[in-house]
Amino acid sequence: MNWARFTAVIAKEWAEITRDRLFLGLAFIVPPILMLVFGLGMNLDVEDIPLAIIDYDHSPQSRDYAYKMIDSRYFDFKGYLHDERQIAKLISRGDVRAVVVIPPKFGEDLVAGRSVAVQTLLDGQFPLRANIARGYIGAINANYSQELIANFLSRAAGLSPEQARQQMGNLRIEMRMLYNQSGKSIWSLAPKLVMMVLMMTPPLLTAVSVVREKERGSILNIYASTVSRAEFLLGKVMPYAGISMVNGVFLWALAVFYFEAPFKGSFGFFLLATAIYSFTTTGIGLLVSSFVKTQIAAVVMTMVVTLVPAILFSGMLFPLSSMGPEAQAIAHLAPAMHYGQVVDGAFMKGIGLDKLWSSVLALLVYALVLFVLAHRFFTKRPQE
Amino acid sequence: MNFGEVLQHMRVMTLKELIQFRRDIFLLIVVVYAFSADIYIAGSGIEMELKQAALTVADYDQSPASRDLIYSFRQPQFKYQGMEMSGQKAMDLLDAGKTMLYLEIPADFNEALLSGKPTQVQLFVDTSNSVLGSLATSYAAQIVAGFGIQKAMERLSVGGAMGGGLPMVNSAHRVWFNPNGSDRWFVPINEMITMITMLSIMLPAAAMVREKERGTVEQLLVSPLTPLEIMLPKVLAMTLVILIGVTLAVYGVLGPVFEIPFRGNMLLFYVLTAIYVFSTAGFGLAISTVVNNLAQVGLMVIMLLSPMLLLSGAFVPPEAMPTALGYLILLSPMHHYIEIVMGIFLKGIGLDVLWPSVMGLLLVGTAVFAFGTWRFRRQFG
Repeated sequence: MNWARFTAVIAKEWAEITRDRLFLGLAFIVPPILMLVFGLGMNLDVEDIPLAIIDYDHSPQSRDYAYKMIDSRYFDFKGYLHDERQIAKLISRGDVRAVVVIPPKFGEDLVAGRSVAVQTLLDGQFPLRANIARGYIGAINANYSQELIANFLSRAAGLSPEQARQQMGNLRIEMRMLYNQSGKSIWSLAPKLVMMVLMMTPPLLTAVSVVREKERGSILNIYASTVSRAEFLLGKVMPYAGISMVNGVFLWALAVFYFEAPFKGSFGFFLLATAIYSFTTTGIGLLVSSFVKTQIAAVVMTMVVTLVPAILFSGMLFPLSSMGPEAQAIAHLAPAMHYGQVVDGAFMKGIGLDKLWSSVLALLVYALVLFVLAHRFFTKRPQE
Repeated sequence: MNFGEVLQHMRVMTLKELIQFRRDIFLLIVVVYAFSADIYIAGSGIEMELKQAALTVADYDQSPASRDLIYSFRQPQFKYQGMEMSGQKAMDLLDAGKTMLYLEIPADFNEALLSGKPTQVQLFVDTSNSVLGSLATSYAAQIVAGFGIQKAMERLSVGGAMGGGLPMVNSAHRVWFNPNGSDRWFVPINEMITMITMLSIMLPAAAMVREKERGTVEQLLVSPLTPLEIMLPKVLAMTLVILIGVTLAVYGVLGPVFEIPFRGNMLLFYVLTAIYVFSTAGFGLAISTVVNNLAQVGLMVIMLLSPMLLLSGAFVPPEAMPTALGYLILLSPMHHYIEIVMGIFLKGIGLDVLWPSVMGLLLVGTAVFAFGTWRFRRQFG
């Protein structure tokens, strides 16, 4: 590799980037904007689920129970219904997402010491929301039952209510939430966002920059010049990898200072991993560019192959452990997952290269393979 | 200029776009991929619930009661992974993500349960994924609380004596429209909607900017075509392409592979999809008037699409939005379209119920398309 020719390609590419003002601006503005939008908008703490209640019992107990639901901040109480036939319409329209049906004799059964089943109808359109709503209702029922049982015990075993409660609650669980004590979703989200945003733009920019030359014909200059394939490809990638690294630092700053996510690891390690990740993502763009001939195809292809895996398979929204074997395999093939583990470790767990070396190595191997493939498929003697 | 001439122009131009599209073999492959394999991959195996969370235990008691408790953490939510008495090694497992929960049972556990003395177990939970973390902690709390009550009953020998009856409120759940509550339907449908949205913004924008970049737009402008006759055929051609892709997705993947019950009227689905694609293309046209090359198109589309995906209820339930953003959602055509598609596919509802969403789609769509057209005419008119 000739150093002078290599730097000349970089200089040419950099000049092209800086002369396109809109492009230059977008390349640095889009990532922080995305980070802000996702960070502020992707709130996974689901609250205010619209709820309706049907009370067939109208006893003091059933009203008491209904108030447990109404008072909960997890539900937005829309009102009592009188007829089960109304439910279908309301749930179909999305006016309510959950309906609790309190059966007749609810109070009578409880007073007599019998258990009661309360039916909950849930809108399953969005499974996450349905599961969360189910969890909330289950927790409210469990709490309410505990009170009932304590009262019941005190009568049955002849204890005072306090004693009964003490007997019931002698087994406690102490929870220690690691890595994210407050359970704030933005804390766990911010590091993942760095990973996702850095996956969105660099491959696209790299792919288009190569294919643009193909489409405009200026690549013929490269074909005819003494620049080798490796010099050209690496020189093309350098400015975009550089932009990506600078963006990585910006995003880190946003995560730490604006979203106040804890950063417990070493910054040097974060930089190293981000640099390798930048070459991996731009490498994807490079590989795409060696196949396609038009910029449209380049843009669509990079978006389909990067954006979707970055969101779905990176463990950001969907935990890896609950994926099927097929999806897990795909996730491991995607570089986003490995970098995701690195940023997670660097931010929340404060661990470094000694424990995360396998993820960093995976990224490195990924980058190398991409470059070798791109080098293999890029030809200075196109056949047409 | 008479009507027949306009039709003739439109027909020829639409044909030109379709031919151009067909000749770009890689673009064709990507679009087919987006509507088939991509949806299949996304839909298979992605679920957002607590499943098989690895549990490591330090049992200092080794009694029947402690084993009972461990056994209560059962599948499918939890998976017992083994014993690890060394706290340091357990922390290493947590750090490395090899286990999600670490439960410590004290040596006096059995004795305390028999005598009624207070005791506590300690649970370490990896909450770096906050959703999973909160699900795991709430399940664990319910399991331990239930276990404690059960042991208290045995100790006081109530329960049995009373004929097993206890005043409790049990939950009986019925999930509508998606009976097993799985993500197996939700994710692939969402993925298809994402692809429709992405392509309906990108393809017309790219088709327009390509003409600008290559300079062929000058030829079009000196031809007897009006700006609308240049613009509309691009949108029409791409709408047609996307509708063919949608057919592939619906009858090639969603139906046969994921067994999604198309409960509603499919004709209504197609009509509304055509309206959605056509109006969303307005975003693409607006973008194409601002930018000059395809790299810029790519960046603009990402900047527009990502917030739209996120805020339209594709990944996050709209209920989780902060209030201000909640109103912003109503401006996204995608939000209305998601409600429509889910409504038709899963709920089998028709226009009588869907009309607010359809109105929303029409209003927003018309505004977007009008804006795109206005920008376009101002630039090329």
